[in-house]
Amino acid sequence: MNDASIWIHYARPRPHWYKLSADEKRAQAAAWQAIAAQSSEAGAETLGRYHIRGQHDFQTVEIWRFPSPEAAFDHWSRLTAAHYNEWYAFSNNIGLPM
Amino acid sequence: MTLLTSETEVFSSAQTAGRCVVMFLAKRQLEPGETDAAAADGVLGVLKQLAGEGWHLSIRKMFDAEASPNAFVLDTGFAHDVDIAGVFEAPSLAAALRGTVRLEQAGWARLFTTEWLLGPREFAVVAGIGEPIDRSWGFLALWEWNDAWSAASPDERRNYDAECDVAFKGDLGFNINIAGRHRLDWAHGWHHLGIWEAASPEIIDVAISGHEHASDFMFTTSRHIIGRVTQLDAVIR
Repeated sequence: MNDASIWIHYARPRPHWYKLSADEKRAQAAAWQAIAAQSSEAGAETLGRYHIRGQHDFQTVEIWRFPSPEAAFDHWSRLTAAHYNEWYAFSNNIGLPM
Repeated sequence: MTLLTSETEVFSSAQTAGRCVVMFLAKRQLEPGETDAAAADGVLGVLKQLAGEGWHLSIRKMFDAEASPNAFVLDTGFAHDVDIAGVFEAPSLAAALRGTVRLEQAGWARLFTTEWLLGPREFAVVAGIGEPIDRSWGFLALWEWNDAWSAASPDERRNYDAECDVAFKGDLGFNINIAGRHRLDWAHGWHHLGIWEAASPEIIDVAISGHEHASDFMFTTSRHIIGRVTQLDAVIR
């Protein structure tokens, strides 16, 4: 069975994110971008990040395709280890191809 | 696996690494009195296959390898906007996700509209303290770590965990079984799931009051689901 999985990630900054300086924000974002680059090197593909604040509870949505559900979990697990979840509120979805 | 929060005195990392919860919140699709034997047969057939593949199909089975392999759910319609809720446990994340598709295609989708919540086990089961008793009620706690937790310092979080541990010890003192903890955040808006087996709704209510006393809900936003343990085949036949 094909385990290639779609992973949809909704996000918005938490209130204390807005208190960081521009440099602090850039440093955090760089760490998370490095994690995304690692995932891409390991076989994931992304369509990028899109702005949805005008018609949604969250600010952005990212759509990824991972080789397996475990690869999606691993991507998220590395982001949370880098405290991403503490600066951004989020909601995620996983799906298999029909 | 990286834990979302640390181990505590009550909770330790599971040795059953890789096992994955398959939680469901489901509303009946059929009209009152209507049955669909083909859909029910299909679902029960797939569940039998899943049991043979190492799935646990009840809360009881997470505690007792000798428990019935049959599927048990919580009858929740009296208190919630879903008719049934429940938890299975699959051998892996991929097996869990594939299993939901197999169930849906075998007839589950005809019987129920369902929200599935999947995620790996983080903490091992903890048995309640006391004589063996009949625990015919289940309790499912979903929670997210809220903005206040996210902004708190490491020391504030450690103190909070220690206070919550007092409440969890209280739960065990009410002879409630706690099926560890599962992590849902990679594929849902809820971050964690706690599963209890208890003797009655009254015991659960008293235990949750202990969590309020310990300021549990200062750092979490949660949803609690309660229901009587019921055989799935009795619900869908």
